[in-house]
Amino acid sequence: MDRILEAAPGSKVLLLGNEAIARAALEAGVAVATTYPGTPASEIGDTLARVAKDAGIYFEYSANEMVATEVAIGAAASGVRALVSMKHVGVNVAADALLTFAYTGTRGGFVLVTADDPSCHSSQNEQDNRYYALLAGIPLLEPSSPQECLEMTRQAFDISEKLELPVLLRTTTRISHVRGPVVVGEVKPGLKKKEFVKDPTRFVTVPAVARSRHLVLLQKLVEAEGLANISPLNKVVKIGIGGKLGIVASSAAFNYSVDAATYLKLDIDILKLGFSHPLPSRLIVEFLKDHDAVAVVEELEPVLETAIRAVAQREGLETRVLGKADGILSRAHELDQAIVSAALVNAFGLRLPELTPAPQIPPVPVRPPVLCAGCPHSATYYAVSKATNKKAVFASDIGCYTLGLGKPYEAADLLVCMGSSVGTAGGLAKVNDQPVIAFIGDSTFFHAGIPGLINAVHNGHKFLLMILDNRTTAMTGHQPHPGSEKGPTCCDITSVSIEEVVTGCGVKWLKVVDPYDVKTTIDSVKEGMAQPGISVIISRRECALIAKRDEKGAILGKRFIDQDACKKCRTCVDRFQCPAISSLDKVQSIDDVLCAGCGVCEQVCPYKAIKEAK
Amino acid sequence: MVDIYLVGVGGQGIITASRIVGDAAILAGKNVLLSETHGMAQRGGSVVCTARIGDVSSPIIPDGQADAILSFELLETLRALCKTSKKTVVVSSTERIVPLSVSTQKLRYPVPEEIESEVLKVAGSYALVDAPSLSRSAGVPMSSNVVMTGALAGTGITGIGREFYERALEMNVPKRIQENLAAFSLGFDAVLRK
Repeated sequence: MDRILEAAPGSKVLLLGNEAIARAALEAGVAVATTYPGTPASEIGDTLARVAKDAGIYFEYSANEMVATEVAIGAAASGVRALVSMKHVGVNVAADALLTFAYTGTRGGFVLVTADDPSCHSSQNEQDNRYYALLAGIPLLEPSSPQECLEMTRQAFDISEKLELPVLLRTTTRISHVRGPVVVGEVKPGLKKKEFVKDPTRFVTVPAVARSRHLVLLQKLVEAEGLANISPLNKVVKIGIGGKLGIVASSAAFNYSVDAATYLKLDIDILKLGFSHPLPSRLIVEFLKDHDAVAVVEELEPVLETAIRAVAQREGLETRVLGKADGILSRAHELDQAIVSAALVNAFGLRLPELTPAPQIPPVPVRPPVLCAGCPHSATYYAVSKATNKKAVFASDIGCYTLGLGKPYEAADLLVCMGSSVGTAGGLAKVNDQPVIAFIGDSTFFHAGIPGLINAVHNGHKFLLMILDNRTTAMTGHQPHPGSEKGPTCCDITSVSIEEVVTGCGVKWLKVVDPYDVKTTIDSVKEGMAQPGISVIISRRECALIAKRDEKGAILGKRFIDQDACKKCRTCVDRFQCPAISSLDKVQSIDDVLCAGCGVCEQVCPYKAIKEAK
Repeated sequence: MVDIYLVGVGGQGIITASRIVGDAAILAGKNVLLSETHGMAQRGGSVVCTARIGDVSSPIIPDGQADAILSFELLETLRALCKTSKKTVVVSSTERIVPLSVSTQKLRYPVPEEIESEVLKVAGSYALVDAPSLSRSAGVPMSSNVVMTGALAGTGITGIGREFYERALEMNVPKRIQENLAAFSLGFDAVLRK
């Protein structure tokens, strides 16, 4: 039984925040759902992909977030409900479509879920996407729990249809990746098809249309603020018996505020904002008037704080507003209840209760994430470091392979965003005498690498592009991409050949290698670097985690170190990186459980001490 | 309210273990909040999940506040000690997974006796469970996480009856359920005997 689809209305089930959003989309009768996977948003799409066929919805993993948004726009503009989900930086890619879609508005409910990542648990920045609601001029909902993820996603569709505007639903890691009890509602079939009714003076944004639609959008924002002022998603929660001190909070910061105020035994009111843009000014004015001092508790940017200060100034209110401008909270990193407790103590001049100090423990050797045992990227990086002796500049990209940045490979020198390896490599090559090598994964290549490659061919850039093709979007949980053979449950897909794309872009030198064949890979890298212009190597080998999962019986080809033959040269741990190979008390050995049987270490060992177990 | 801090190495099945605890709590009629580690951090790195049983709002467990540490790996047991106090029950697998920092930077992996002495300095009690052997003897070598979940249930600290754990186990690990129930039972008894 799949608990997402089968859970009976009114029953309580344990759901991840992301799963609750997926369930809510089904309860809202969504017709089309799209995504490009990215932590912490991935499970929204993965859940819908799994149930799409049985639920009778259309789901796709799109090539990137902009295309995902455009596909959803096409459906919603026709009049059915559409959901598009992505991680925070994905919205940068989708923004071009989103900002003008706010002008045309929508017919069917349109919800864009942005999963932000304060503290960069799995991201390259911690941008605060609530600004996108301000920038686009669209309503913003911020759930605080899995139950609210369900309820607010349902309401987001209603608000979207009422205002005919796209709605931004913003979660964070601590909302999307929290699992808690959720009382579910009823899955509704919803409208799945709708003929597009032509209305070019609304939907075709030539300048004259855009000018008039901007005025429509501004009018809708006034209407939206009216909805926010009366929305049950915005409410005052009393801690203790309430009082003259207040907190305004949203999202995860609300949870920390409740726990902190309870811990501090405060009598305080918390204005919880679930529908936070447009700011419900009337509620804010009432709350400020009722309190002597109000602390604004929010993660990352002072979005609410700045707006609340503006309201207080406009209304001439004397209530003290405290927040990031006063230094009680930082604009960086996620909060927790201890940080919020300290902030409240600081803001209101309270005494912090006696704390038991955290126990002192000796330093523990670090354990950062690493490339897995049998990872084909590790084999590719080993070959590249042998071929270049590390005398090259490495433009890297977003994916598991970014983990090549550390020792022993040091195969990442510049990384900014999805697809950036190809573009930055061109610029690096123009001003550096050192050779330049760009690394990009298969999914990332389809996402944003292709325009960069066309640019490199057209403008005559000289570098070697290595497409690390492990046949999947590995880091986010093995989602399919345009090169995959198998897609979500609902639909047949067509596999797009990377070779054909590369040659179609005009690349003249292309080679496909198996990274497990170390010598051929080393020779190919040398040959590729010697080319006069752009050269491309597709280093193709399925992700070791999938290969392992498909294996019916035992993993074949496991290796061991013959200690009699081992010369303790440490090449296998210092030049190659595999979590199955460890060096403890000066003895190198291979963990029989972790070994994936790739056999690369056997080719790495200069003394033939690594052998296949029989 | 009971706060469980689950730690280990990416790939050890910690999220599944926390889900079993979560489902068991709901079956027992309790509130629960779990937080999980996904994405890049999972690739063989240190992984943390939290399970807060009772009426709480935030999923994070502050330093010194865990009622129990359930650790799947010895070095991670040591790393988790910042969450302990003298009331904390620490249950750890004997499994050792050597991190690359030990292999390449020649850092030292402490011996089990040193870890035990550090744990007992700051925590209330310490139980070691040979989860790899117990899961092998149950016929499911990949189910060390199920053994450890059994050990947590065996301590009685969560206040959730064994039958709820067993039903939650069936919901989350439907394949080879008899062997997994046996693995759970071995973990449960391993801690009971202490």
